[in-house]
Amino acid sequence: MLYALSKSLGSEEGYAEVKACLTSPLAKFVAWGLLSALLYHLVAGVRHLIMDMGIGETLEGGRRGSKIVIAISVVLIVLAGVWIW
Amino acid sequence: MVTSVTNLSRSGLYDWMAQRVSAVVLAAYFIFLIGYLVANPGIGYEQWHGLFSHNAMRIFSLLALVALGAHAWVGMWTIATDYLTPMALGKPATAVRFLFQAVCGVAMFAYFVWGVQILWGI
Repeated sequence: MLYALSKSLGSEEGYAEVKACLTSPLAKFVAWGLLSALLYHLVAGVRHLIMDMGIGETLEGGRRGSKIVIAISVVLIVLAGVWIW
Repeated sequence: MVTSVTNLSRSGLYDWMAQRVSAVVLAAYFIFLIGYLVANPGIGYEQWHGLFSHNAMRIFSLLALVALGAHAWVGMWTIATDYLTPMALGKPATAVRFLFQAVCGVAMFAYFVWGVQILWGI
């Protein structure tokens, strides 16, 4: 990813090259996978911060929180897929 | 506990805080970056280059890079000390864990240096 960033910022040709590379279905799928991991990590991390504040720390709250995290993540991951394709 | 010598700050509480502060920085950075890309479909080289040439963006990117290193270190250290234990691996656990942490450390350092080169090279 850093290589792609470096190439896309290095020159106009490099930018076009990265852009062309990212249009292939396989590259899109990999980008979607990476983005999905990031989004799930982000949502679950926000849940940690909320729980650090003392919200949803009971067993019942923990169960509900983990379900909410999965629901929000699925929505965001689907949206990310729509955005990429 | 011998294992605590490899954590980020020798203090669990400080590590705990470092992980959360770096998490907020990383969340802000990636939400901004994804938001920027969503708001600017069909972005060209000029605009992309201009974004990363901006001083504020360079500072933000560097901050995110430092936060990534700290966040990843605390996270991988936690995984290593939770799972790469004598209970799971027997006698070689300390060597395996140290090697694993060394690889993580070198990777984070390499990413950091490489990232600085990219940000300051343009």
